[in-house]
Parts: sequence; C-alpha cells; structure tokens
Amino acid sequence: MTPETHDAVLYFSKTWGAVYLFVVFVLAALWIYWPSRKPIYEVARQSPLSNEDIQQ
Amino acid sequence: MTRHSALLLQFLVLIIPLLLGLAILGWGREGAYVLHGWLIAGAAGWGMTWLLDKMNDDAPEIPLEYKDDVIKWGVLACFAWGVIGFTIGDVLAWQLAIPSLNGDMFWSNFGRIRPIHTTAVIFGFGGNALIATSFYVVQRTSRARLASETLPWLVFVGYNLFVLLAVTGYPFGITQSKEYAEPEWYADLVLLITWVAYLYLYLKTLSRRAEPHIYVANWYYLGFIVVIAMLHVVNNLAMPISIALPKSYPLFSGVQDAMTQWWYGHNAVGFLLTAGFLGMMYYFLPKAAGRPIYSYRMSILGFWGITFLYLWAGSHHLHYTALPDWVQYLGMTMSIILLVPSWGSVFNGLLTLNGAWDKVRTDPAIRFMMVAILFYGLSTFEGSFLAIRPVNTLSHYTDWTVGHVHAGALGWVAFITFGAMYKMVPWIWKRDGVYSLRLEAWHFWLALMGTLIYVGAMWNSGITQSLMWQTYEPSGAFTYAFIDTVDAMIPYYWMRAIGGFLYLLGALIGSYNIYMTVRGARLPDEGSDAKPLAHPAE
Repeated sequence: MTPETHDAVLYFSKTWGAVYLFVVFVLAALWIYWPSRKPIYEVARQSPLSNEDIQQ
Repeated sequence: MTRHSALLLQFLVLIIPLLLGLAILGWGREGAYVLHGWLIAGAAGWGMTWLLDKMNDDAPEIPLEYKDDVIKWGVLACFAWGVIGFTIGDVLAWQLAIPSLNGDMFWSNFGRIRPIHTTAVIFGFGGNALIATSFYVVQRTSRARLASETLPWLVFVGYNLFVLLAVTGYPFGITQSKEYAEPEWYADLVLLITWVAYLYLYLKTLSRRAEPHIYVANWYYLGFIVVIAMLHVVNNLAMPISIALPKSYPLFSGVQDAMTQWWYGHNAVGFLLTAGFLGMMYYFLPKAAGRPIYSYRMSILGFWGITFLYLWAGSHHLHYTALPDWVQYLGMTMSIILLVPSWGSVFNGLLTLNGAWDKVRTDPAIRFMMVAILFYGLSTFEGSFLAIRPVNTLSHYTDWTVGHVHAGALGWVAFITFGAMYKMVPWIWKRDGVYSLRLEAWHFWLALMGTLIYVGAMWNSGITQSLMWQTYEPSGAFTYAFIDTVDAMIPYYWMRAIGGFLYLLGALIGSYNIYMTVRGARLPDEGSDAKPLAHPAE
C-alpha cells in the first residue's frame, strides 16, 4: 500500500466512517422509538413474566 | 429437512473431525497431541454410531415440553469447569506469593498453567453457562422446543471437547501463544464445527417460535454467537507446519497479527463476557424479580450500541506500540463512547428492580444479580478510563489490568451466572427451590469478600508498581531496580491469594448447594401450573 492510498483510506474512514456510524445510530433510534412501534415492545416486555407455556 | 436427512447430514459432518482425529493419532509424534487425536476421533466416532442408531430407530415420540436434559448437563459442566478454573487460579495466586510453590517442573510454570485457568473459567465456566442458559431462554421466550433432538448434544459435547483439548494441551506446550485463543488449529477446527451447529440450532429454534417478536435476551445471545464465530475464524487463520506436530503459524505477522489478536481478544470480552451475559441478565433478572425490564426499548438501543462500538475498541490493548497512532486513538475514542450503552444497561438493570428491592434483601440470587450489575458498571467505567492513552501509561503491564479483568470476571460474569443458576436449577429440575438459602447467602458473601479483596489488592499493587517504575533520580536513572518492585508486590499477592481462596470456597459451597438441590425432592407434577413463575407486574 502506498502512503497516498493509506492517507486516502484514512481520510475516508475518519470522515465518512463517522457519518456512517451517526446515521446508523439515528436510524436505529428512530426505528426503536417510533411511536407506532411502542405496543410491540410493551407486549415483549411483559412476555417473560407470563407462564411461558410451550406451544410447539 | 426430514428427520432422516438431518441425522444423515450431522453424520456426514462428523466425518470431518473423525478423519482429523485419525490423522492426528496416526501421524502425530508427540504424546499429548496423539492423545488429542484419540479424543477427537473417539468423540466423533461415538457421535456417528449414536446417530446411526437413531437413523435405524423409528421416529421417536417428541413430547410437547421444553428440552431441558442437555441444559442439565450444561449446568454440571459449568460448575465442574468453574471449580477447576477457580482452583487453578488460586494455586497460581499462591505461586506468585510464594514462587517456590511451582515445584520447578517444566509443566508447572506460570506460562503453561495460567491459560488453563483462563480457558477453564472463560470458556469452561462462562461458555457452558451461556450455552445452557441460552437453550433455556430461547425455548421459553419462543414458547417452542429446541429445533433438534440430537444437535444440542453434539453442540454440548463438541464444545466441552474443545475446552478439554485446550486445557490438556497447555502443560505440554501446545499453544499458539495468542491470549484467550491459545488452542492450536485442530482444536479450533473442532470449535468451528461446533459453533456453526450452535448458530444453526439457535436460528432454527427461533424460526419455530410461537411469538411474533424475538425477545431481547435472544438478540444478545445471538450477537454473542455470531460475533464469536467471526472472531474465532479470523484470529485463528493459521498454517499448520505438518500433521505430525501440533504447531502452526498465524497468517498475519507483526503489528497486523497483534491488531487481529486484540480485535479478537477485546471482542471476546465484549461479546462472550458482556453481550452473552447481558442476555442472561435481561431474561433472568425480570423473571426472578417478577418485574419487566425497566425500559425494553433502551435494552434494544443498548444492543445496537454495544454491537457497533465494541468492534472498534480492541486497539486500546496496543497503546504506545508499533500500531499507527490513529488506530490507537480510534480504539480509545470508541472505548470512551462505549461507556454510554454500557451504563445504559446498568441503569436498565438496576431500575428493573424498582418495586422489588425488598427481594435483594431476602433472595440471595437476586442479590447476586444486583451486585453483578454494580460490578458491570464499575468495570465498564474502569475499562473506558484505562483505555485513555495517558491513563494507560500508568496502568498497562501492571496488576491494575489484572484487577480490572477480575472485577469484570468475578464480579460481573460469575455473579450474574450464579444468580441465574440459583434460579434456573430449581426450575429445570422441578424443585421447590434451592436446597439452602443460608448456604446461598454464604456463597454470596464469600464471593463478594473474595472479589473485593482481590480487586482492592490488585489496584494497590498495580499503582504501586507503576509509580515505582516511573520514579527517576535527578540524573535520569531509575530510583528502583525492577526486583524492588517485585518485592513490593508480595503483601498484595498474599492478599490476592486469600481473596481468591474465599471466592473458591464460596463456589464450592455453591456447587454443594446445587448438588443438594438436584438430589432433593421433586415438585409434585401438576402440569404447567406447578412451575415457580413470577406474576406480571401491576
């Protein structure tokens, strides 16, 4: 790897890498906290506290 | 896949370890290596005849109940490896306090015995605890039986064979010298096959679930399984020098090899010792306390945070080395950000206990889990702190690191495991409860005292060591010779050995308690109502 390639890859990681992580975080947070999805989590939250009878 | 073709596929896959074992026992030239060949071939051969037997039998009547028999063996293996690992750890601690205790034999020096301790506790104790509880949790939260009758056994046997190969090889010098990845290529192959089977079984069971949503504990367990598979493959890429000898050389060299190793090493911490046990916490804590997770959505956000951030943090193990500076700063930055999802999980766990704090006083299992969460918070804070480069100049290569690891391993991993086991054992054996709550409390207090003494001693010894190393005369010469710093450690090493002994004593009491629980009276069979289940929160 030439020093120029190294620097280019490094620059790309430092800038777009950070953007990528931030975008992934925002998408994950939106997906999790989207109001219409709340009931799904509410049911799941209570799920282990039930009898957990086997169904299949 | 029909039952018959599934059995046939498993049979065919087992030909690989059978041939591997036969080749090793036939061509191998070292005693321990040849013995390993026999073990691998024997286990594979046993598995194949067992599968052949099943193929010839009529399809068995599979009962509509959870498959818990293999979990029971997992509990046994977990405690057996735990006691072995803690014992060897404490023997090592005494050897450090009194060096002549190692008997001056080739196989008994620190370098050969220490990996037996780490492998037995991390993979033997921790790994079996994770596999056993993951089988329990995936079935309950999916309301479905494990997807195969044979695969869980092959996973259990294959995994424990791997741990056995690992720990019996080290005293004879069979190691690739990668910390926490010491086993040589042939043991790695056994684990690889086992692990793919584990992943397949877990996904297959999830796909049979009767619930629309996959409960969050499974996400953490699955993260653990998938990432360990990835780490194991990449870090163990190596070329054996010959079938006659166990030795191999890694594919990477120099700083690339170091980076690969610590990418592996730190994510083994992140996904085996953290994500897997968080999965355990997110199921057993709400279940035991009878309270739902405080914020279910935060547990999912925490999952993505931990998954995305941990993978970048490994380079903090290589501060001030030949690794490029920017990679070191990357690891440092990610380690600091990692504190956010880590402490998110801590608060989520503690707040789950709201409304059930009285149980911390009355139920030692919940006390174990609560203290585990506190130690998780302590060691993740400490970890982020130690990853900062200037702090690392003080802590690295000192006993502080050892203290940090044990705050996490003794305080978090083992405490959450003991808490979960004290709940799960009576549930799967259908017992009224644990044999003795008093012994359980004794276990708790001995373990807590042992951990505090151990960690406290190592903090003191690490900082003393480091400050002595970094003290200079006005002329620029070192004030202390290296041996002075070794002498200064002796009282701390005694303390550590005593702390470790208390911890071991607690684990022995715990094992006895579990044994007596299993031997005790069975609950009368009243169908599913007899299960000691918690009530949903008001």
